[in-house]
Amino acid sequence: MVESSLAETPRAAQAAAREDLLLEMTRISKRFPGVLALDDVDFDLRAGEVHVLFGENGAGKSTLINIIAGAFAPDAGEFKFRGRSLVRLKPHAARMMGISPVFQEFSLVPELTVEENLFLGRELGAGGFLNHAAMRAKARSVIGELGFDILPDQKVGALSRAHQQMVEIAKAFLTEVRLLILDEPTASLTEAETQNLFALVGRLKSAGVGIIYVSHRIQEFQKIGDRITVLRDGRKIATVKSGDVSESELVELMTGRKVGVLFPSIDHRPAAKLLEVEDVTLSDRSARNVSFYARAGEITGIAGLVGCGKSEIVRAVYGLEAIASGTVRIGDEEMAARPTPIDMLRRGVCYFPSDRVAEGLALGRPVRENASMAALDLPTFSQASILRRASERRAIQGIVDKLKLRPPQIERTVAKLSGGNRQKVLLARGMTRDISVFLFDEPTVGIDVGAKIEVYELMKSLVAEGAAIVLVSSELPEVMNLSNRLYVMHRSQMVAELSGADINEAEIFSHFFREKRPEDGLAAARSAMAT
Amino acid sequence: MSDVDVALRARETPAGGLWRSLLAVLLPILIVAMELGVYFIEPRVLSAGNLRNILIQSSYLVLFASAQMVVILTRGFDLSLGASVSAISVASALVMTGLDAGDAAPWIVVAAGLVTGLGFGFLVGLFNGGFISWLGINPFVVTLGSLNICLGLATTMSGGRPVFNVPDPFSSLLYNGKLIPGVPVPVMLAAAVCILLYFLLDHTVFGRALYLIGNNPRAALLAGLPSRRYLLVAYILGALLAAFGALMLTARTGSGEPNLGGSLMLESIAAAVIGGVSLQGGVGGVIPVILGSLFITMMSNAMNLLRIDGYIQQILLGVIIIAAIFLDRIRSTRA
Amino acid sequence: MTARSTDHGGAAPNVALDRFYRLYGAIGFLPIMLVVLIVLFAIFVPHFLVLPNVLNVLRSSSYLVILAVGQMLVLMVGGFDLSVGAVVALTSVSSALVMAGLKGQMADQPALIILAGVLAGLGCGFLVGLVNGLCVAFLSVSPFMVSLGTASIATGSALLLTNGIPVYGMPVGYVDGFGRGLWFKLPSAVYLAIAIVAVVFVLQNFTRMGRYIVAIGGNLQAAIVSGVPTRFYLVATYVLCSVFASISGLALTAQIGSGQAAINSQLTLESIAAAVIAGVSLKGGVGKVEMVALGALFLLILTNAMDLLTIDPRIQTIFLGIIVVLAVALDELSTRRTRRV
Repeated sequence: MVESSLAETPRAAQAAAREDLLLEMTRISKRFPGVLALDDVDFDLRAGEVHVLFGENGAGKSTLINIIAGAFAPDAGEFKFRGRSLVRLKPHAARMMGISPVFQEFSLVPELTVEENLFLGRELGAGGFLNHAAMRAKARSVIGELGFDILPDQKVGALSRAHQQMVEIAKAFLTEVRLLILDEPTASLTEAETQNLFALVGRLKSAGVGIIYVSHRIQEFQKIGDRITVLRDGRKIATVKSGDVSESELVELMTGRKVGVLFPSIDHRPAAKLLEVEDVTLSDRSARNVSFYARAGEITGIAGLVGCGKSEIVRAVYGLEAIASGTVRIGDEEMAARPTPIDMLRRGVCYFPSDRVAEGLALGRPVRENASMAALDLPTFSQASILRRASERRAIQGIVDKLKLRPPQIERTVAKLSGGNRQKVLLARGMTRDISVFLFDEPTVGIDVGAKIEVYELMKSLVAEGAAIVLVSSELPEVMNLSNRLYVMHRSQMVAELSGADINEAEIFSHFFREKRPEDGLAAARSAMAT
Repeated sequence: MSDVDVALRARETPAGGLWRSLLAVLLPILIVAMELGVYFIEPRVLSAGNLRNILIQSSYLVLFASAQMVVILTRGFDLSLGASVSAISVASALVMTGLDAGDAAPWIVVAAGLVTGLGFGFLVGLFNGGFISWLGINPFVVTLGSLNICLGLATTMSGGRPVFNVPDPFSSLLYNGKLIPGVPVPVMLAAAVCILLYFLLDHTVFGRALYLIGNNPRAALLAGLPSRRYLLVAYILGALLAAFGALMLTARTGSGEPNLGGSLMLESIAAAVIGGVSLQGGVGGVIPVILGSLFITMMSNAMNLLRIDGYIQQILLGVIIIAAIFLDRIRSTRA
Repeated sequence: MTARSTDHGGAAPNVALDRFYRLYGAIGFLPIMLVVLIVLFAIFVPHFLVLPNVLNVLRSSSYLVILAVGQMLVLMVGGFDLSVGAVVALTSVSSALVMAGLKGQMADQPALIILAGVLAGLGCGFLVGLVNGLCVAFLSVSPFMVSLGTASIATGSALLLTNGIPVYGMPVGYVDGFGRGLWFKLPSAVYLAIAIVAVVFVLQNFTRMGRYIVAIGGNLQAAIVSGVPTRFYLVATYVLCSVFASISGLALTAQIGSGQAAINSQLTLESIAAAVIAGVSLKGGVGKVEMVALGALFLLILTNAMDLLTIDPRIQTIFLGIIVVLAVALDELSTRRTRRV
């Protein structure tokens, strides 16, 4: 049976009484270079329960579920599944035991078909040869049971993100599932597909499957969750029953601050239009006929689900995505067909990418070089192409002090900094030039609350100085509380422009489900039949 | 995507600050150890004459290793290095002997030779850099292609035989002149190139950009650095350095050799990587190049003195390459 | 590759263009180009379509087909093998030396001599492939660099063993019967090539390994997470490539009649060229063996035509370099059009 540690005696006694304790994790810790991802976390799951894991990006949710799925081992703590202590669990073994993860980042091979991806690593067949017929039949039956509209012989690379997610979910159901992990599963599903998913979850619950549901969409998981565990900065803050806590209480637990304190009150003083995007369609059609504008002295937010095109349109303004038609205006000036980053920087537009590591920072180089990277053509930093190193040092040190980089050493390699400090180095770039339009793309992903507040304060001071800020964010509380005007994008189109009292979660969500795909009629009918 | 996600994907390599400094000191120690070791078997290795030889010999490799380094910094590669050297040697020798036969003034002959050589190098760099930077094609394949093109050109132009009688003024300019008494010309030239290169890499915007592009090309693009243009310039610079080295070598042999390049490609890469230039890009400098070149030159010098078969030396070069990339892997701290 | 996928939710672009690209994707331009080339050469190049020349081309391309198929497999797992040419040379030398060496002792058992030589040759390929594969799979080093290193080692070894002099003394049956023999009117090498293509075809479409090769090259992370023994299959792929190079080397040596360290030094480049022309992507995950066979044939027909037109082989080298670069450039440009979700 389940062993108990002294510190947890009351709970362990309870747990011992429940024979259906599927998963028991005690005092789990995990450290990565530069970050303590999990710090003494307890987590358990009962059979037939939907246990929600709630917290911001970087709170430790993905680390925890990766440990459960066997991707890596914890540094400390006990991990028990169905009463058995698990040590050095590997992903394959976890799946065989019935632990089926569906991660947000798909593990799909684009060049293979749906069927081939489903069976990857566990193909049916004898002695190295494949049994195509058996796999085809099984694939069809699994897809059919789940009610997904995908075909086994479609190449995964050609599917939309939503359909790829369906393949990822179907993968989990190829073997018997005892513990299902769903990581932000509804990110790109339509309402009908989401209903389908919830119906599926309901069926699994009755079959005794335990479900870990990772999400930060409060309204959604309050519908289907039984218990909610809140993580913050790698620590477990609380585990509560779904009905026992309100939405704002949850946000408070998640951020550790009262909603009012986390987000500063910003004195918006909208003035001239500094950026105007008119009827822009991108070459890859990730954004179509999008129009919006940003004014000096205010924060213009763009909200939307993952993959809706909000990042892409802003990147296109900066010159990182190809524009097929439409105009971009900076101030009074209309931009040429394909702006480039240096053009934009010279006109006072700066873009901060969402993926710091991949696109923003040169990790092996010192803070100083990273901060000055975008301004090397300016007289402070170079003269006739020769670097002015002393001048550079002075300038960057000043900016770094102002942004409260900890520690304020500009010769330190960026790789050694935490997420929050890395973001500050990135933001420092905006201070090296005369920038009047700031494009923030998911600026607070993976940084701790303290650093977040500092970023928000920075935004506040920029706005006070008369800059225009465009804030693209998937974190609704953030984009709702900071924006003066909020645009909503859905499935590559701009569907709403909100301001004032209209900026609230219900209003925003209502715009997500307005547009439907033609197949949705079928899906809706199916979901009506299933429930 | 959070930094934790990145950590999840990272291969946790052991190298940290301590490792790096250890490895940095390792090479000079290795060089000294190797020379001392050989001394016991063959005392001539530490004679003044031999040391002078080593210095002169490594000067050429310094040029070729620098050429390779400039390109490796940007996460690129130049497989055409040896072949281009051969082609340049032949081409410049042909031009000079042709003009010489026509009784042109010596300074015109020498100038023409230099222009031909550097011009050819410029074209090779343009070809490589153009396809790599503008079309984004894999540097290995492009330079593999230009390798064959240069090889074909070298053998075609020379008819398969060396082009003899490179004029003396040329040789004395680049090889045995007496500008500074006591200091061999190649050493001087290599030193001058090193100083210029150091200045370029550490004190110009272009140099800074090379390191940034090598470390994270996408970030460099986002920050508004003219990555494509700089990449092209890097390949041209590398090719020009190699061309200059080719001219120096031609001055020394006194003839245009269609096989001058030989194993230069492998040697230049080995020298650069052993010295500390990282194959992942973004790491390297003049000091690593000098150290690595010295090491490789001393090794082959020692092997020659110990009368080790040329073919065995080739095998050893291959082993060194593999050892070098293994070393490089341990050294890298890519997160 | 964790692709940044976007939810378009909108109408598909130009339907006609889409269909064109799908057709292009299905058969590629290679078969068409091949037919065009054959027709052109038949008309304009003297002695092109005569039987001896056709047999010659078929034989020569067989060696390249075997080589290119191996290269394709390595390219598909996202790697590169620059040592195939050197393996051919080493195989040539070692098999010839073993056969010549045993000639004195076992003159009455030519079959055994041949077997010993063949095993020696294949052993060389196996070893080189093993080193390449282990370094790439376990040390995670660049396949370019490793294969450069092993190429140098292999070439040096071949030269060392023979001092650059060809090795004679292989059994007559091997050279005349196999190397230069005609079985049912076709050169023996052709049958060998067909056999290998058939084997790899089955591998690609009917075995686990075939799928794993695509998975490893297409998305290594996904393969690892799915429990695919990636390291094993990486090593296996490199070994297979080198062994194929050995097979090609054995056949080529039998045809030439002596072991040569200086055997055709362009083979490596040609194997890559044939693969790229055939649509094998340098990024991995894409490749079809039937197309690679056609690609090799394409190259050889070109070379043959240039020979018949008495174009200097040294200039042909230049053309080869240009062709490779252009083929890769075209491949790069065409993949830019089809954006991956």
